[in-house]
Amino acid sequence: MRILLVEDDMPLALGLQQSLRHEGFVVNHVDNGKSAISALSVPDQDLVILDLGLPDIDGIEVLKRTRDRNLTIPVIILTARDSLEDKVKGLDFGADDYLVKPFEISELLARLRVIERRLGTAKSALIICSDVSIDTAAHKVSIKDEEIGTSKKEYMVLKALMENAGRIQSREQIESRLYEWGEEVASNAVEVHIHNLRKKLPEKFIQTVRGVGYTVNKR
Amino acid sequence: MSIRRYLVLILLSIITLVTFLAAIQGYKASMEQANNLFDEQLQIMGKTLLATSAIYNENTLRRSLDETTVVPSKHIAYQLFNNKKLLLRTDNAPKKSITQLSSGFTELNFLGQRWRVFIESSSIDQPHHIHKKVIVAQPIKERFSLAEQVILSAVTPIILVIPLIALFISMAIRHALKPLTVLRRELSEKKINDLSKLSSETTKTELQPVIHTLNQLFERLSSAFSRERYFASDAAHELRTPLSVLKINVHNLHITQRDKLDSQGQASLVQLAQSVDRMAHVVDQILTLNRTNPDQLTMEVTKLPLKVLLQQVISDLYPEIIKHQHDISLESQVTTLYANEFALLTLVKNLIGNACKYTPNGGHILVKTEVDEQSFTLIVEDSGPGIEESEYGRVFDRFYRVGGDSHQSTVVGCGLGLAIVQHIAKLHSAKIILAKSEQLNGLKISVNFPKKTMGENT
Repeated sequence: MRILLVEDDMPLALGLQQSLRHEGFVVNHVDNGKSAISALSVPDQDLVILDLGLPDIDGIEVLKRTRDRNLTIPVIILTARDSLEDKVKGLDFGADDYLVKPFEISELLARLRVIERRLGTAKSALIICSDVSIDTAAHKVSIKDEEIGTSKKEYMVLKALMENAGRIQSREQIESRLYEWGEEVASNAVEVHIHNLRKKLPEKFIQTVRGVGYTVNKR
Repeated sequence: MSIRRYLVLILLSIITLVTFLAAIQGYKASMEQANNLFDEQLQIMGKTLLATSAIYNENTLRRSLDETTVVPSKHIAYQLFNNKKLLLRTDNAPKKSITQLSSGFTELNFLGQRWRVFIESSSIDQPHHIHKKVIVAQPIKERFSLAEQVILSAVTPIILVIPLIALFISMAIRHALKPLTVLRRELSEKKINDLSKLSSETTKTELQPVIHTLNQLFERLSSAFSRERYFASDAAHELRTPLSVLKINVHNLHITQRDKLDSQGQASLVQLAQSVDRMAHVVDQILTLNRTNPDQLTMEVTKLPLKVLLQQVISDLYPEIIKHQHDISLESQVTTLYANEFALLTLVKNLIGNACKYTPNGGHILVKTEVDEQSFTLIVEDSGPGIEESEYGRVFDRFYRVGGDSHQSTVVGCGLGLAIVQHIAKLHSAKIILAKSEQLNGLKISVNFPKKTMGENT
């Protein structure tokens, strides 16, 4: 995946480029808003990591102009501004994600991978959590390389959980993923799917966080 | 006392006093004038009487005035004598001569009244048998009442008009002070943190500099405040970016050099990573503390879905929770709460974060809400060591940490978490109660939000 990194702080840009390249991403770096806008006029980037505090044009303005030109390229905002208003503004203007500095690099990589899979540009369509892996290209689930059968909805639920391994998915979040697929969702549907999945998956693979939601451990 | 009342009272007092003084002075002067006038009248009358009597010759006089003639009169009394023989008198004058004086003015009593008397005699060179004397008298009381009537009818309107003057003065002052009244009202209605310019405008030269100076002051204050507010976000940017650089470089070092380092080097790398995390945390907490300072935070209160908010915070903190292998659960019904979103998120984050940090690995954390008629309570309980009751008061102090310097160094913290929580609680008029958790044996921290004040804030 080719990433356009828009960041005016050179040491941070250098460090990020090193991390991202190490993970196999191709990174182009620009250090101001004007260059970012002109780089985006050519469609050879897959994703933008955008700093808001740029020396010439504000990052939000860059994002706005990009969206005004009907470019759907995913944008992850990376900023020192952590107020809720800034975050809401960023997401309202069409950012796909919002990370506040100082961020965990692993967090950034996880979010990049989610977008990568969504775009279909991932080198590997596999998501692996301990013994369980899902092939997002073939829509197949395996335990220790042995394929198990799941219904379409069960697959969706598991994919939502594994894509966000290490984080909690609330019942509402999982439900909205099912809705996206145009499914009618009964009030206890998620519980039923989780129950069925648990029977097929290793013990304690899907954990319940009482009152909050469900989670799958990363490793 | 208001300026208006003071001005009205003082002006009225002065006007009344001066009017009365003038009236008294006028009364005195008029009285003197009237006296002179009356005296002149008496004199003219006496002289006329005397002169008239001289026209008649002796015989005529004797014939016509043989018997004492009485002239009816109400006011002025007179007696006309010829060689001490009464020739003519008014009916209000006695038959005997009133006075022995032969000329001039005098005042004397007769017939139960005080009189002003004028006496005039014919000259001595007249023949002996016709020595005439005239006495003219006027009651002093009458002179007074006549004079008084005239003077009073001149003075009375001036006194009667005083209430009217009062009314006009009061109106004039009210009108003149109107810009001041408007300014006063605007200032008293201004909220304490509203530093916008005054909208009052005036053409009064005395008030223009006041409003101008106030507006300048407001402007300077508000720019100072916004500078202070921006200082936090400026500092955030200045510190957060280098911290990110540190973090990334530590990460890169870890990825690329991991295999080349010996165990000591690896331990150093872990130490470095932890310190960077700790620094990031401290910077974050200091900025949050600043931002939630009641003087700084402009409270925008909105209706928040509480359960969703708690779920969100637990989700955000979950990587940390799972790192400590804690078991966390949330017991909350669907409620809404009026609060500032940023502040409430920060409060919840600090409470759960604390529970997570200070509970030994593999512990339990329980987050729950209790709602009753008057209040709403957020409770976080843990299975950690808790806090000694004697420390309850001090844990809210800035940079205070239980156990002081001997605090477990592995726990990332700076002693600001509960100070922040207290700031936010104060902002929402909420109470913080520390207790021992009966269910989990650790610390139970409750934040009690009054429902009423929250609703009213909106």
